[in-house]
Amino acid sequence: MRSDVPAAGRWVSGLVIAAALSAATSLGACEARRVAPAGQAGIDALRALPWDSVVARARGTEVVWRMWRGDPSSKAFVDGWVTPRLRERYGITLRAVEGQGPEIVNQLVVEREAGRRAGTASLVWINGATFANLRREALLAGAWAGRLPNAAYVDSTSPIIRRDFEQDPAGYESPWGRVQFAFIYDTLRTPAPPRSVAELAVWIRAHPGRFTYDQGFTGTTFQKIVLYALNGGVARFQGGFDSTRYVGARDRVFAWLDSLRPLFWRRGETFPPDVAAMHRLFANGEIDFSMSYNQNDVIAKVRQGILPTTARPLLLRDGTIANTHYVGIPFNAPNAAGAMVVADFLLSPEAQLEKQRPDVWADGTVLDVARLPEPWRTRFATLGADPRELPRDSLARYAVPEVSPRYHERLAADWRAHARGAHLP
Amino acid sequence: MSRDRPVAAHSATGRRHEWGGLLAAAVLAAPVLIGLGYAFGASVGLVGAGGGGRASFTRVARVLGERAMWTGLLWTLWVAAAATALAAVGAVLVAVVFRGTARTDRAARALAALPLPIPHLVAGALGVWLLGQSGVAARLAFALGLIARPAEMPALVYDRLGAGLVLTLAWKEMAFLGVVATALLATSGAAAEEAARTLGASPWETFRRVTWPLLWRGLAPAVVAVFVFVAGNYEVAALLAPSDPLALPLLVVERATDPDLVRRGDAYVASVLLLAVAGAAVAVHEWARARWEPLAP
Repeated sequence: MRSDVPAAGRWVSGLVIAAALSAATSLGACEARRVAPAGQAGIDALRALPWDSVVARARGTEVVWRMWRGDPSSKAFVDGWVTPRLRERYGITLRAVEGQGPEIVNQLVVEREAGRRAGTASLVWINGATFANLRREALLAGAWAGRLPNAAYVDSTSPIIRRDFEQDPAGYESPWGRVQFAFIYDTLRTPAPPRSVAELAVWIRAHPGRFTYDQGFTGTTFQKIVLYALNGGVARFQGGFDSTRYVGARDRVFAWLDSLRPLFWRRGETFPPDVAAMHRLFANGEIDFSMSYNQNDVIAKVRQGILPTTARPLLLRDGTIANTHYVGIPFNAPNAAGAMVVADFLLSPEAQLEKQRPDVWADGTVLDVARLPEPWRTRFATLGADPRELPRDSLARYAVPEVSPRYHERLAADWRAHARGAHLP
Repeated sequence: MSRDRPVAAHSATGRRHEWGGLLAAAVLAAPVLIGLGYAFGASVGLVGAGGGGRASFTRVARVLGERAMWTGLLWTLWVAAAATALAAVGAVLVAVVFRGTARTDRAARALAALPLPIPHLVAGALGVWLLGQSGVAARLAFALGLIARPAEMPALVYDRLGAGLVLTLAWKEMAFLGVVATALLATSGAAAEEAARTLGASPWETFRRVTWPLLWRGLAPAVVAVFVFVAGNYEVAALLAPSDPLALPLLVVERATDPDLVRRGDAYVASVLLLAVAGAAVAVHEWARARWEPLAP
C-alpha cells in the first residue's frame, strides 16, 4: 500500500471537494437571484424612455441573436445584409449564433439555474411551442414589441400574424416573417400531382414506396394538415386544446396513416429524420415528394443546386398550415435596448422587402403593404416573382392557421410512440 | 511504500503528494460527478426544463417502462458490439499481416490509419453517400445492370439492422485500434515471438500463444473505449440509423428537444442509462483484467 490516507477516506475527500464545487456554484446562484435579471430590468428601464433614447443606448453595443442557422439563405440575409447595415446605422455589432426552438428554452433554463444576472443572448428567434414554453417558464423579458416604431405597419388583421399558434404574443415577441407549408414535387416525374389529402391517399396507393414524411417539425405539421382534413377542418380545433376531441381526431389520423404505411417508402418501417434527409431522398429519386414549412424553400434549394430545376411547390385544397416567426428578448438579455433596435430594423419595410426577394430568402412579409408609405408600396408590388413561386392569392386562399401548440406536442409524441408499437391511451 | 524509508519523511512529503494527486483527480472527476448529480436531479424533476422542484420517481418509472427505451438500448448495444468487434478484427489483421518493415507493409499500415483524422460527422456523411439506396454503391450496381431502381438496392442506410451504421463505425474505429495494435506488436511483440520460435513453436502456435494474447490484452482497454464511444455516438447514428428502433443517443436528443417541455427530463433518464452502459463496460473490463492478470497493479 502506498498511502496512509485510507481508500475510503480518499473517496470521501473527493466527493467533499466535488460537493464543495457544486455548493459554491449554487451559492453563487442564490446570490445572483436576489437582483432582477438583466433583460427584465432592461425592458423596465426602457419603458419610460422615448424611442430615440432607446436607440442612443443601443449605439455601440453588441447584440447576440440566438437563431436557427441551418438554412444558407436566411443565414446569408442576416450575416451579409442585416449585420453590416446595423453596424453602419446604429453602431450595433450583431452576432448571430446557432440555437433553435427547444435548444433556446433548454439554454435559458440552464442559464437561470446557473443564476447569473445576465445571460448569453439578447434576442432569440422563436414561435409556437417555443414561445409557449418560454412564457410558461417565465423566460421572456416582458412586453416591448408594441414600442417599435415599425410595429405600426404590421398586418394586425391577419389571424396568422396576430396569433402565434393561437397565443396572444402580448408584446413579448415581435413578428418578422411568415411562411406556409408546401409539398415539393417534380413536374417531370409527377406531371399531375394530387391536390387534396384524399387524392394524396389515392396517389400513394398507385405509387408504392414513393412517399414518406420526416420525423421532425415539418412531418408533424403534415400530420396536422391530415388531422384538419379528416376531422372537419381547422375550426374544430380552434379555441384551445381539447383532450377528448384530440384523441378521437388523432385516432382517425393514425388509422389513415396505418392504412397507407405499408405503401410508404421502405414500407413505413423507417422514416427520414428531418427535412434535409427528405430533400436528399427526393433529389436522388428515391421518393416523389418532399415538403417544407416555407412555400418558397424550393426556390432557394433549386438555386443552391440541392433540388432539380423542375421542382415546384404544391398546396392542397384542404389547406396548408401557415405561421409567423417572431423574435423575443430573454429575461436575462444583457442588451435589451440593442435587441429592440434590431427587432425594429427587421420589421422595417426595407428589411422586409429584401427578405422577401426570391433571390435572397423569399420569406413572406408580416407588414400590411397597403399601409406602407411610398415608395415601399410600389416596391413591394413590383417585387420580381420567381417562376417557382406560388401565386399570392393561392397562398392566401389555402392558408390555415396553427392551433394550440399542445396539439403539436401531443401529436409528435403520440405518433412516435404509435409508430414504435406502443399502445396509446 | 518502502518499509525502510523513515516514516516521518514519508508523512510530510508523501501526504502532500497524496493530497495534490487527490485534488487533481477531484478536478478531473468534478464535471462527471456534477453532471451525474444534475442528470439524477433532472431525472426526478428537481432541476432542468419542466422540472417542478419536487422529487418524484414517476418520470423514471414511466421512461423505464417504455418499450422504445429498451429496444433502443438493445439496438445500441448491438451496433456498438458489432462495430467494435469488426473494427477489432480488422485492426488485428492489419497489425499482424502488415507488421514488417517492407514498403508495402508501411504503405498498408498508413492506408489503414487514414480514417483516423476524419471527423465522425464526415464519416457518417460518407456512409450516406456511399451506402444509401441512391448512393455511389447503388449507382455502380445500376451501371452494371444489377438493379433498375433505387428501391432494389439493399437498404443499408436507415435500415433496421443498422448495417450501414455498423460498417461506417467499424471503418472509422478500425484505424484507431489498428494504430494501437501495431504499436503493441512493435514495442513488445517481436522479442517474445522470437523467444517462442527459438523454443520450437510453430508460426501458428506462436500466434496463438504469444501474439494473440499480447494483442488481446493490450487492445482490451482500447476496445472498451471504442465500445463506450460508439454506444454513445450521436452524429453518425443521426445520419445513418433508422427511426425505429431509435438508437439511445438519438432518443436522448429526441426527448431533450421534445416540443413538450415536461418530456425533456426523459432525456436525463436515458442519459443515465447510457452512462450505466459505459460504467458496465468498464467494470466488465476491470473484472476480466483482474481474472487474467491477478498480479497486475
